[in-house]
Amino acid sequence: MNNIYPVNDYGPLMPGLVMAAVAIFHVFLAQFAVGGGFLLCYFQWLAMTDRNPNARIFIHGYFKILVLISFVLGALTGVGIWFTSIQISAVTIGEMVFNFHWIWAAEWTFFCLEVVAGYCFYRYHDRLTDKACMVLLVLYTFAAWMSLFWINGILSWQLTPGDWVQTGSIVDGFFNPSFWPSLFFRTVVCLTLASLAGCVVVNIIPDLDRDAQTSLINRSAHLMIPMLLMPLLGVWFLFAMPEDSRQWVLGGSPAMMLFFMISVGASVAIGGYAVVGLWMQRLYINGATGTLLILLAFGATAGGEFVREGSRKPYSIRQVVYSNGIRPQDVAELRKTGCVTDDPFPVTFEKTLPNDIVTTGAKVFRRQCAVCHTVEGSNAVVHLTESWDIDQQRMNIAKLQQTKPFMPPFAGTPQELEALVQYVRWVQAGRPAEWLKTLDEQALQQITGWLDDAGTEPAQARRKSASAATREQK
Amino acid sequence: MMLETTFPFGFEASTTFYLVLYVLTWVLHVAFMGYVLAGSFYVAWATVFPGKSLPPRSEQPICELLREWIPFMLSGAITAGVAPLLFVQIIYRQEFYTANLLLGWRWLMVIPVLIVAFYLLYLLKSRAVATWSLAARGITVAGVAGSFLFVAFCWTTNHLLGINRDGWANSYETGTVVAAALPLVLRLLTWVAGVFPVMCLIVAWQLAGRDSMSSSSDTPVSPPARALARMAIGGLLVAVISGTAYATQLPDSVRQHLLGAAGQAWLYAVGAGVVLQVFGWVHMLRQREFCHRTLSVISVASLVTLTGTASLREIVRVSQVDLLSIVQNCRSAADVGGFALFVVCLVLNILLVGVCLLLTRTGLRRQ
Ligand code: HEC
Ligand code: HEM
Repeated sequence: MNNIYPVNDYGPLMPGLVMAAVAIFHVFLAQFAVGGGFLLCYFQWLAMTDRNPNARIFIHGYFKILVLISFVLGALTGVGIWFTSIQISAVTIGEMVFNFHWIWAAEWTFFCLEVVAGYCFYRYHDRLTDKACMVLLVLYTFAAWMSLFWINGILSWQLTPGDWVQTGSIVDGFFNPSFWPSLFFRTVVCLTLASLAGCVVVNIIPDLDRDAQTSLINRSAHLMIPMLLMPLLGVWFLFAMPEDSRQWVLGGSPAMMLFFMISVGASVAIGGYAVVGLWMQRLYINGATGTLLILLAFGATAGGEFVREGSRKPYSIRQVVYSNGIRPQDVAELRKTGCVTDDPFPVTFEKTLPNDIVTTGAKVFRRQCAVCHTVEGSNAVVHLTESWDIDQQRMNIAKLQQTKPFMPPFAGTPQELEALVQYVRWVQAGRPAEWLKTLDEQALQQITGWLDDAGTEPAQARRKSASAATREQK
Repeated sequence: MMLETTFPFGFEASTTFYLVLYVLTWVLHVAFMGYVLAGSFYVAWATVFPGKSLPPRSEQPICELLREWIPFMLSGAITAGVAPLLFVQIIYRQEFYTANLLLGWRWLMVIPVLIVAFYLLYLLKSRAVATWSLAARGITVAGVAGSFLFVAFCWTTNHLLGINRDGWANSYETGTVVAAALPLVLRLLTWVAGVFPVMCLIVAWQLAGRDSMSSSSDTPVSPPARALARMAIGGLLVAVISGTAYATQLPDSVRQHLLGAAGQAWLYAVGAGVVLQVFGWVHMLRQREFCHRTLSVISVASLVTLTGTASLREIVRVSQVDLLSIVQNCRSAADVGGFALFVVCLVLNILLVGVCLLLTRTGLRRQ
């Protein structure tokens, strides 16, 4: 199953960023839809037990927004994530679909229930009995939360496949180490988002006086109380993470740490505002503040998703596929046979390249580096290697996983590696018309040595087996 | 040898299994998608050509119903589309992904275009639109119909690109995604025309249900019935002609499978289904009103036609791709656990969907 897929050059918009943008947008909408179900059930109960005279008006206004914003938009951005993932790594999404297609199919049946229950409620709720409304809302909420349940298993598997790696059992893969912390955490986020949206909705319902608004807002804010659990759940999640990923987040990678802090900071701000307000029994959130809090929540979601995406490096599915679509178990073979030997797709700008060596280098870059790097744009390999001499360039790429542990090992022949170096140097030299036509035999031998030194294992596994070896020596 | 008996048999059991699931879920997608695609075309036409009678076409029952229901049917089309989207990735992993990647950003446009169309649909439902000038309304409805046509075009292009392995490298190099325009146009026309009878049938059921609910007998039922019948028959004829024309564009080897053991039974089924549908609609033209028995006959015939067409469509694809890799894909997918879970969830949710529908019928407050 070593299919080679065409790679698109999306220019400076690094594919990862596109992916993150779509994913954040979708996660935000979907979580709002799930939490919205809980909130509506709560308000339906308030209405049925005469605890709040305006609960019905609220339900009416809220559900309209839920349908308009998150129903179709949520579903479409979901398909959007799927399509974007294919653009970024068809191998990765292929592997996920393949291993969990029945989970996805199960999720789909809940999807159908969600659509039907939601639509029945939307169209008929003002003509239905209270009991019927409640049942529809409960079914809607159940279906929406179950879709979170299923997808959470697949997403957490990407980061912590756990025993699945040995057993291949779908149960092990699904109920993987980060499944529960992640599920609870996401559920709390859902409730928070729904609650914040509720505060905004209260402000746009016409003809409510200030007291009525305050009482609705206080009720809506009750769904933020579970945020108190967030620190606990967050720590649990961090502990379920693989050690190296945890280190990226906690300072190993400045970018990752930054996003983590954004996420934490924004959550603390929201939680603090709500909890203090509720505590003092005087919570009032006007439309502008509500919107601001939602934006903060968006920031928190963005940070969280970015961390989730980023902390898997060098993998896209831990121990199964590297970010560049190459499988760990294929690296050794690709070192012998080459990673672009069977690549049927020509380099689109081949005519601008001086010779076959440089062309091969461009292909190697496309296959192995392009998911995370550009040539000259952001995180550009040309700039990152500028200050190195040619041997440093060769060695650091040959020992890629040691150069930065969040890069996968190099997976090609020494000739391919040298071609890559020549391609990078050719760009650095200002793209001259003439360039080296033969490879330097001595350099190839040196590269072979470095490749052997580095081995074919990723950094973490190497460190582990090295420390195991030293322990044994003692 | 494969494809030597009626499709989808004659493969390994796992291949047949996934092909059946794919075909059935795709037919479900077509039912919803057909309503959206053909419906938006009709609304566009009726808005731009309101006719001389009063009320204008765009305010007559068919159009009002369509405007009311297309948004929901769109979420149905999306939801129903997810299931075949899953199976197509299992069966035709490499073909599907490669085509997606070759289409690149053009493929990603499908999502924003659908989002825009969705909000335009809501706009059309709002009362404000009625006060707009004809030109403004015309542009809006044409925008909606055009968006859905674009989406259909993307799916067809993606499909044709996927089965044209020999053209992949060239497509990547040059960025051209349409290898030959004529087959693409004929294939697309077949779908666009072919979904009209589907839309007409669903609308007919909806109107018939509404008639039997409302007690007043003075609602004019005959004009919609006749209009729907004419539209359905027209759609069927155009689809048959363009579908046949598309078949002439296929490689000989593919046509042999269609006419041979794999496709023959389905060809007969489609033929019979179309003839029966035409008879049904002609009957309705004469009767000038909706009759449940006729509609039931048309529904069965329509289901047969759609399933047959979906199977023929699959034979065209299967006979152009690397069959061994497909068999391999399905074989290893069948080893992955979870099928029982799916069946349990399916049954549970069918029951719960039933509960929802029942509740909305019986739970109406006594006024
Ligand atoms: C999983 C994603 C990923 C892949 C695949 C990847 N890199 Fe990197 N690489 C990174 C990240 C992240 C950095 C850190 C950039 C920074 O520090 O600003 C980096 C840094 C580098 C650096 C600078 C290292 C230093 O010490 O300053 C070089 C050189 C480099 N990569 C080359 C490559 C080459 C060549 C390939 C392909 C053979 C490749 N990378 C594949 C993610 C990746
Ligand atoms: C209203 C919008 C849509 C329209 C008009 C539409 C139209 C079509 C058409 C015409 C085809 C047949 C292509 C061919 O065989 O030539 C098709 C196939 C398909 N559609 Fe849709 N579609 C729509 C939305 C969607 C959505 C949102 C999804 C995904 C969730 C989807 C999933 C599929 C799948 C999986 C196939 C089969 C593709 C294949 O097997 O190659 N569709 N669609």
